[in-house]
Amino acid sequence: MADDLVLTRLVGRPGVTTLEGYERVGGYLGLRKAVTLTPEQIIDEVKSSGLRGRGGAGFPTGTKWSFLPRDVFPRYLCVNADESEPGCFKDRYLIDELPHQLLEGVLIAAFTLRVSHAFIYIRGEYRAQRELLDRCVAEAYEAGLAGRGILGTEWDCEVIVHGGAGAYICGEETALIDSLEGLRGQPRLKPPFPAIRGLYGSPTVVNNVETLSNLPFIVLEGGAAYAQRGTAASPGTRVFCVSGHVERPGNYEVPMGTTTFRDLLQKAGGVWKGRALKAMQPGGGSMQILGPQHLDVPLDFKAVADAGSSLGAGALVVMDQTTCLVDVAKRLVDFYHHESCGKCAPCREGTYFESQLMHRLEAGIASESELATLSDICANMDGRCFCPLGDTATWFVMSAYRMFPDEFLAHCGAGRCPVRAARPAAA
Amino acid sequence: MTDVARSPELITVIVDGRPVQVPVGTLVWDACEKAGVFVPVYCAHKKLDPVAVCRMCLVEIGTLPKLQPACATVASDGMEVRTRTEKVREFREGNLEFLLLNHPLDCPVCDRGGECDLQDFALRYGPGRTRRAITTKVHFNKAVRLSDKIVLDQERCILCWRCTRYYDEVTGEKELVLQERGVHTVVAPFEGRPLQSMFQGNLPEVCPVGALTHAQYRFRARPWDLRRTPSVCPGCSYGCNLNIDTRETEVVRFASSDKPEVDDGWLCDRGRYGSGDLNRADRVRSPEVRLGGPGRSMAYSEAIEAAATALASVISEHGRERVAVLGTPLMTNEEAFVLQWLAREVIGTPHVDHQLLPWTDLSPAEFSLGIEEIEACDAILVVGEQAEATAPVLTLRLYKAERKSGRRVSRVPGDIEAGEAARRIAGASRVGVISHERDRGLAAQVAAIAVASGASVGRLTITVGVNGRGCKDLGLLPNYRPGYVATAEVGLHGRGILEGCQSGEIRALLAVGPNPAVEAGADLDRACAAVQLLIAITPVRDAFWRHAGVVLPGRTIAEKAGTVTSSEGRVQTVRIAVHPNIAVPSEVGLLAGLGACLGAARPAPTAPAAVLEEIRTAVPSYAATAGGLRAAWGKLR
Amino acid sequence: MFRELLGGLRATARAMASRPITIQYPEEQRPVPPRARGRHILHRYDNGLEKCIGCELCAGACPVGCIYVQAAANDPAHPVSPGERYAVRYEINLMRCIYCGYCTEACPTEAITMGPRLDLVDYKRERLIATKDDLLEAWSGFTTMSQGVAPGLGRPASQPTPMGAGSPHSGPAGRAPGLRPVIPAASGDPADTPPA
Repeated sequence: MADDLVLTRLVGRPGVTTLEGYERVGGYLGLRKAVTLTPEQIIDEVKSSGLRGRGGAGFPTGTKWSFLPRDVFPRYLCVNADESEPGCFKDRYLIDELPHQLLEGVLIAAFTLRVSHAFIYIRGEYRAQRELLDRCVAEAYEAGLAGRGILGTEWDCEVIVHGGAGAYICGEETALIDSLEGLRGQPRLKPPFPAIRGLYGSPTVVNNVETLSNLPFIVLEGGAAYAQRGTAASPGTRVFCVSGHVERPGNYEVPMGTTTFRDLLQKAGGVWKGRALKAMQPGGGSMQILGPQHLDVPLDFKAVADAGSSLGAGALVVMDQTTCLVDVAKRLVDFYHHESCGKCAPCREGTYFESQLMHRLEAGIASESELATLSDICANMDGRCFCPLGDTATWFVMSAYRMFPDEFLAHCGAGRCPVRAARPAAA
Repeated sequence: MTDVARSPELITVIVDGRPVQVPVGTLVWDACEKAGVFVPVYCAHKKLDPVAVCRMCLVEIGTLPKLQPACATVASDGMEVRTRTEKVREFREGNLEFLLLNHPLDCPVCDRGGECDLQDFALRYGPGRTRRAITTKVHFNKAVRLSDKIVLDQERCILCWRCTRYYDEVTGEKELVLQERGVHTVVAPFEGRPLQSMFQGNLPEVCPVGALTHAQYRFRARPWDLRRTPSVCPGCSYGCNLNIDTRETEVVRFASSDKPEVDDGWLCDRGRYGSGDLNRADRVRSPEVRLGGPGRSMAYSEAIEAAATALASVISEHGRERVAVLGTPLMTNEEAFVLQWLAREVIGTPHVDHQLLPWTDLSPAEFSLGIEEIEACDAILVVGEQAEATAPVLTLRLYKAERKSGRRVSRVPGDIEAGEAARRIAGASRVGVISHERDRGLAAQVAAIAVASGASVGRLTITVGVNGRGCKDLGLLPNYRPGYVATAEVGLHGRGILEGCQSGEIRALLAVGPNPAVEAGADLDRACAAVQLLIAITPVRDAFWRHAGVVLPGRTIAEKAGTVTSSEGRVQTVRIAVHPNIAVPSEVGLLAGLGACLGAARPAPTAPAAVLEEIRTAVPSYAATAGGLRAAWGKLR
Repeated sequence: MFRELLGGLRATARAMASRPITIQYPEEQRPVPPRARGRHILHRYDNGLEKCIGCELCAGACPVGCIYVQAAANDPAHPVSPGERYAVRYEINLMRCIYCGYCTEACPTEAITMGPRLDLVDYKRERLIATKDDLLEAWSGFTTMSQGVAPGLGRPASQPTPMGAGSPHSGPAGRAPGLRPVIPAASGDPADTPPA
C-alpha cells in the first residue's frame, strides 16, 4: 500500500522539512536528473504520466506547458499556493510536511520551461507556511539549488515566495497574476491566456502546489511509473482533504479511479457518531453536492462528472443526517458574497442577491416564490460571469435544491429552520 | 455563407442571419454594429480597451454552450452570432435586475435622467417588473465632490470601469481607482485626493449612468429641454468639435462630439467649462456713441453712420495711414476677410493685424503636420510648454501616440538651445515638431536641423485664439493679403499699433474685441485711452468698450455663423446656438455696413455664406476646404 | 287645441313656482366636484418642505408644453425640499394648459395635483402665467410657528405666502407677473444661415 503513494510517501521521515533531511531520503535527485535531460524529454515524461492539474480544473499539465510560445523570453512560473477553497487544506499539508518536495518540483518545472523567475504565491493566512518556505528557499539558495548557476549548470532561476492578502479570487490564475503584479486581485480577460501574455506581459505558467509536488517522482521514476497508479483516464494518486462529519478528518493520498468515495470515507473513519451520510461535496465548497447513492462512484474525473459534480480541488466535505442543507448553502453563499471581487455585474450583485435570499430562506421568512427567484438568479449567473467564481457560487445551492427540494420548501414560511428544530437537543 | 467575393483581409460574420464583412481582428460588437444590430453594453467604449465586466453584451456565438461577451470576442470567419434568442433575452433581463438591485432609482433628481443608458436599456431590455424580493439595498455616498468640476454619486455607479479606464488609458493620470470588493466596490479618487486633471469633464460623458456628473451643469436642465448645435470649441485653435447645448437663450453645457481626426472624442476642461463665459451678464447690449459728450444709445444704423463720419474726418484730417485696424483671433474667417477688405480696400491703411504679439515671420512649413499624422511620426518633439498649455487636448493625442503606437514623444522647454532640442529627435526618419506660435522661432531651427539630417519633418503650430490660423490665412496681417500674398507696403503689427496709438502716430483705431492677449492688458488699456478715435465692435465690456467713441455690440461665438480654421488648417463650421435676445446684427453685416458708409466702391456681401464663396475664389487653398478638409499651403507667393 | 294650450300654461306655472336654476356667478358659486381638474396646487410635506423636487417630469409629460421648471441644488443647511434638488422656478401657463392632469400622473412625489379652482380669468395675459408663489400650498407653519421652529424654507417666516393655491380666497389680482422664459423669435437675418 505504501508503495502506491507518491506525494506523501516521505511524510514523517525525520528532519524531512530541512534540506539535509530531505536529501537524506533521496530529495533533489529528481532535479539532479532533470538538469541532465532536455526540456522536451521532461515534457514528454510529464505527458506520459498523464498528470492533470490538481488546482480544480484538471487540465493536463504537459499540454499546458506546451502552450508556451517558442523562444519568447522571459517566461515566468507561478505556483498557486493560494489555497482558499472551503474544505481544502492539502496544499498547506504538503507545504508543512514536505516543503522541499514542492521546491524541487518548482525547480524542475522552472528548468523545463526555462523560466527566469518562479513565484510561489502563497495564501496570506498561511503565515507559518510562508516562513517555512522562506527558510527552505534560503537553504536551497545556499546549497546552489536555486539562484545563479544551479547545480553547476548555466541555468539561473530566482525563486520568490510572495504572500497574498487574503482573497479567494486570487486562486484564479489571472487574478493571482494581477495580485502578484501589485494590482487589484481580479481575473483578467481571456484570451490572451497566461501562457501567451501573463505576468508582466510575458508567457507564464501557473501550476498548483500538488501538481508540482508530483514532478520529482515523475522525473525520477518516469511517467510510466506514475501512470501505473490509478486508471488510464485518471492516472496517479491524489491527496484528498476529508472534513466535516467524519471520525478522522485529514488528508488522505489515494490512487485515483480505483478508489471510491466509500473507500475514502472508510479511511477517514466513516461518518461520525455512527450517523448516516446525508450528502457530500467532492470538490470543496464550489462543487455540486452528491448523496449516499454516489458512494460507490470512483474518484475519477469522468465518473464524478457523470455523477453531476467534479473533483475540483480534491476536498471531500461530509455531512451527516442532521445537517440542514439550507444552512450550509447559506454559509457557502455568504462566503462567495464576501469573496466576490466585484468585477462583473452578475457575480457582484448576484451573490449579494443570493445571500440575502438565503438568509431569508434559512430564517424561514421567505415565500415559495422566492425559491423560484433564487433558481432564476442562479441560472442568470451560472456561465454568464466573468470567471468561474460567480458560476460556482450557484452550484452548491442549485444542486442541494435539486437533491433536497422538500427541505428547501419546508423552510418557506416556516418561521424557523425545520431541520434544526427536529434535531435532538444533545446534538 | 454568402457568395460575396472575400478579399483576403475581410471575413464574413453572420449576425442574426445577416452576413456582414468585417476586417480580421474586428470585435463581435463592432461586427454587430456594422450589421445594424444593436447590442446593449455599458463597459465597452469605442476609445477604450475591452474589459467585459458589465456582461450586458453577452450573445450566443456558434455552438458555444456559454453566452459570450460581444465586446471582447474577436470575430472569426463564418462565425454565427445570435443576439435575439430567448437565452440572450432572459439573460439581459436578469442582468438588468442585477444592475438595478443596488441602484438608488433616484432618476427624478439625477442629472442623467433622460439620457442614461441604464434607463434606456432597462426600458428596452429589462424585465419590466420588479420582484421586490429583497428590501435591503447597499448604500454608498451620494454627491461626493471629486473636485470643483465633478460630482460623484457612488450609489448610481454600475461599476463599468469606464472612468478608471479612461484615466488609465486616455490620460494616463490614474486619478480614480476602485476600492473595496464585491458588492461594496466603489469608484473613489486615489487616496482621497481631489481630481486635478485637465480632462475631468470627459468623465461624465464616458459614464453610462448618472454616477459622474458635471458640477457646472448640476440640476440646470433636463435633456428634453436642450437644443443641440454642433459647433467648434472656442477655447483654442486646436479645433475640437463639440455640441453646444442650450436651454432657451442660455448655453448650459458643451458636450463633446467625436471627430477622430481632431479631438478623438475628448475635450479639455478649459474648453468645456468655458461655456459659462457665453452667458455673461455684462454683455454690451446696445450701440453707444460717446463722441464729444456723454454716451447715447442709438440704433445700429445711426451708430454705424456716426462711426463712419468720425472715421472719415480723421482720414481727411490726418491721412489714411494714421488709421489702424485691429482684429481678434476670435473672429470667424468671414469676419476676418471682410475686416481686411474694409481696412485695405475701403480705408486704405496698411496697419492691419489680428493679435497683439510682436509679429514674426511666417512660413508655410509651420502648418505642414496634421493632428492625425502625429501618430504616424516616429518621434515627436514638443517645443515649449505653451503649445500643450494652450491646446490641452494635444496632450491626449501625444499620450495615445505613445501608448497605442509606441511613438517617442519628447518635450523641451522654449528656451533650450536648438541643437540640444534636435538631439531628442535624432535618428528618427519621420519627425513631428509641435510648438506654440510664440516658440515658432526655435521650432523652425529644430526643424531645419532635422531636415538637414535627412528626416522628413512636419510642423504643427498652435495659434492664439480659436481662429488665429484663419486670420493669418485671410490676410489680417500687416504684411500679407489673403492667401499670403505679400503687400507692397508693410504696416504696423499689433504691438506696433498699440505703441502708435500712444505716440500719436495712429489717430483712429477700429478694433474688434475681445482680444485674448492677456499679457498686453495694461498696454492695451493705455493705447485705447490715448488714441483719438476708437471704434469698437465687441460683445463684452473690455478695454475697447471702456474707451471707445463708438461702441457697436458684437456677437459671442455661440451666436455666430461662419467658419473657423484650426491650427492644422481644418476649416470647420460654427453655427448659431443661441439667438442673441437683443437685436445684434452679425459682425459681417456690421463691417459691410461700415464699409458702405465709408463709400466702398463695391459693397461687401453681408451673409457669411456669400463671404465664404468670395474667400474660396480669392484664396486658392480654401477652394477645396468644403466639408472640413485641411487648407494646405503650397509655396508662399 | 285647448288641451295643448293648457299644457303649456301648466308648464309655465310650474316653472314659475320652482326655484331658478341659474346662479349669480361670481357672487354665488357652485360646489366643485371633488375630482374636478382645476388650477394646479403644489403641495408641501407636514414639516413645510416642498414636495416638488424640480425633476421636470411634469414638464416632460405635459402634452402642450405649458410647464416651465428650473431646478437648483438644495442648501443642506436650509433645504427647500427633501433631498438634493428643488424647483427654484415653477411656472404654468394657464392659458395654454388643457387641464389633462398628466403632470399629476408623472409626478414622482405627488407634489402637484389639480385643485378645485376654475375661475381662470383675467384682463392681462401675463397674469395667467402661474408662478410657484401662486401654486404653492400655504403652510400654516409660517404664521403659527416661530421662525426658529420652521425648518429653513425658501421664504423667510416673516413673509407668509400671500395667496397660496390652497387658500379659497386667493386670486390672480394684484400680483406682479412672474418670470417667464424668453423664447426668441427666429431671426430673419440672412447672416444667421450657416454657410454650406
